[in-house]
Amino acid sequence: MSAPLILLPGDEVPSDHLPSNNSNPLKLGPGLRLLSQPSSKPDATSHVLTATQAGLVTTDAKRNTVSILSFPNRRYIPTVNDLVIAQIHHSSIDYFHCMVTPHTAHALLGQLSFEGATKKTRPMLKQGELVYARVLSVGVGAGAEVELTCVNPATGKSEPGGLGPLVGGMVFEVSTGMAARLIRASSSSAEQGDVIDGLAVLSELGKKLESLGGFEIAVGRNGKVWVDCSNAGDSAIKATIAIGRCLQTTDDKRLNPVDQKKLVTRILREMKLA
Amino acid sequence: MRPATAKWPKMVQKKTFDRPRRDSSPRCAIRKMSKEAPLSVAEREFILEALRENVRLDGRGADQFRSLNLSFGDEYGHVKLQLGKTSIVVRISSEVTKPRDDRPFDGLFNINLELSAMGSPAWENGRSNELEAYVTHVLDSVIRRSNALDTESLCILKGVSCWSIRADVHILDYDGNLTDAACIAIMTGLQHFRRPDAVVRDGQVIVYGVEERVPVALNITHKPLSITFNAFNEGHNIIVDATRKEEQSSEGELVIGINNGGDVCFLSKFSGAPVDAMEVVTRSNVALEKVKEINAQVERVMQADLAKRAKKGMAEESRAENDR
Amino acid sequence: MVGPTASLSILSRADGSASLKCPTTGYNVLGSVNAPIELPARRDALKPEEATVEVFVKPGNTTAGVGERYVEGILRSVLQKVILGRERGFPRRGVVITLAIIGGDAVERGDSYLNILPTLLQVSLLALLSAAVPMSMTFSTALLGVTKSGDIICNPSAAEAKAASSLHVLAFSSKGHLLLDESQGRFEFEQWESVRERAFSICRGMATPGADGDVTMGDGGDEARINGFICETVEDHLHRDYSWKIDSA
Repeated sequence: MSAPLILLPGDEVPSDHLPSNNSNPLKLGPGLRLLSQPSSKPDATSHVLTATQAGLVTTDAKRNTVSILSFPNRRYIPTVNDLVIAQIHHSSIDYFHCMVTPHTAHALLGQLSFEGATKKTRPMLKQGELVYARVLSVGVGAGAEVELTCVNPATGKSEPGGLGPLVGGMVFEVSTGMAARLIRASSSSAEQGDVIDGLAVLSELGKKLESLGGFEIAVGRNGKVWVDCSNAGDSAIKATIAIGRCLQTTDDKRLNPVDQKKLVTRILREMKLA
Repeated sequence: MRPATAKWPKMVQKKTFDRPRRDSSPRCAIRKMSKEAPLSVAEREFILEALRENVRLDGRGADQFRSLNLSFGDEYGHVKLQLGKTSIVVRISSEVTKPRDDRPFDGLFNINLELSAMGSPAWENGRSNELEAYVTHVLDSVIRRSNALDTESLCILKGVSCWSIRADVHILDYDGNLTDAACIAIMTGLQHFRRPDAVVRDGQVIVYGVEERVPVALNITHKPLSITFNAFNEGHNIIVDATRKEEQSSEGELVIGINNGGDVCFLSKFSGAPVDAMEVVTRSNVALEKVKEINAQVERVMQADLAKRAKKGMAEESRAENDR
Repeated sequence: MVGPTASLSILSRADGSASLKCPTTGYNVLGSVNAPIELPARRDALKPEEATVEVFVKPGNTTAGVGERYVEGILRSVLQKVILGRERGFPRRGVVITLAIIGGDAVERGDSYLNILPTLLQVSLLALLSAAVPMSMTFSTALLGVTKSGDIICNPSAAEAKAASSLHVLAFSSKGHLLLDESQGRFEFEQWESVRERAFSICRGMATPGADGDVTMGDGGDEARINGFICETVEDHLHRDYSWKIDSA
């Protein structure tokens, strides 16, 4: 692995940083754009990749992608296939109008976009209720609407991710960068205790809270984490708050895995859970 | 007694003391005021449920403030306040102007607060909102109208010239309890500020530069602060220093402006559900305790800063002498 | 010479933020960026295919007036040129930039804003970078004064600026284009030309990564090299944000 490369908008991505896999077409992630550069020869135009955001260049050789990891505190912009936690704002005949990030246009969620939903069985969601959904489309052109779904259109199922209404529990806000890491950490099938993306906090919490019946978590790329500990009985509230505080502190203070474990121990003791 | 009248009190009671409904209830005047995105049902219910168990989201007790951090800028009267994630900068400035015709012996003092999109994306630049008017009103009452800054001492020459003191409040980050935070910051700024010295000689006003004469501290008559209480669960839980999410799920608030001596200079039950009258009395005691605590901290931090400045000033003076 | 000090992403509510303190002019400016967000009140004024850039300057201890509205116009026109308002998620949305002058002397009514303009521009840029607003390029700015005797001084203090016969603010893009030229006072064209050359070396004199990834060193003298300064600030911050990734690699 070469040294980390940080680019600013307008900088070109040097060709030696691109994945060398030539069998697949190169895919561009966020923060990059392709510009054609007129060359001295009249017929041949060369192409350059330039950054549009400041960030760390990352490549994935397997999937042949290159993208820019920008500042983790940025605002979330809906991208197809992302998992988000959306809040119902109001409903109309065909759609629920949902809030994905505050002070932006509402995203649409079909009234029937739920597992096994028919006109009679569809969930009656009210204002302020939450759903775990996937971004289905972001539309083409200016001012296009974002559409969400709680069902995999191919299978008609709610997917293993557990899409659908989120009942009870609590939502905590984290940075969008942290949310992306949490999604990878919570969805990975690695053994407990492993550090994924520099995160040990989830597996540590899982270990420590196992005796209380564990917890359920849903992470939205829009920087929201839903936590539910309803199995924990009387300690449910405290356990939920402890999880939220651990995640937010890890995010705010950029803790490394060792400090994350210390944090978990400290907060659980403070909340009288351990 | 006729059944109709017998029913009356019951109905009234039911209407007023009903549990907060799930949909956007009009009780939350604070929430409506700040135009923040509405809280989800899950969040509101959870906050209320946790408070029933006397637990807050950040692990604080009901009568506990978030950690308060005060620091000073290069100039006198430049205060940076951090209360949890709420962050404020206050700048105090002075200039010589003409006093008002009806009050020739009084100087001027104004508090300026403008909410910008920096503090919260919910606030639009260049447009005032209700929260701005409300907070300005409370600050004005607690600090200016209680005469915390003795405006008579700002008079230089009767009817001709006086000092005009201006406090500019910049909200950098908004996470609840704007009023108390701004109040602490302004009071700290006023105590820290030094205005240039001015004298009247032969009917002429002479203002000395900061280098010529040691600048003068303002005359602070007392140190009132506002303490805001938020009520939840039909008044069963009352907390201080609410965060933004707590404010959004609160059913009403009570603001007490009080000084170290226990004199109440402002009392407001501006919005939301009714609060038991006895609560106002007991909360005043809590407010007094908090004000004493905070004022002591302000004093400590300020003295440390002033001592540091004095040391630096002395070092510079001796350097200047050495140069000579 | 003590260089300016900057920090990034210091606010929690805003999508991006930065502060910059310039030691010579004494200005301390805090900037925040909210983007992309809905601008409900400006719906009819929105351009259909592009983002609307809004700039708001909040003076430290006076009420905003004509001077602020004027400098907002300058800032908006420069920033609009570098922001890619057609990228996904941005058309018909607002990029709201708020700049608060939290340290330094007040700009007197009727006084020009040239003294503080470079600081305002740089804070805006850093805040935009921290909010990950897509941009075609970055830029760097310089403030130069020409004294009565014809000497060029870089980053003049308030007193020096007042005494100068002319003041110039220039901004160069990271590709080397001249983005902004605001001048005031009386000056000859040759003087302006030497001011431009000097400004260019101040802005662009520092290490610029070439197309081949090599670092080419320019000579910018002792002055703070603004472009390099911005790069360093951003890199430092990203290194800390991604230490989990960089350290494990």
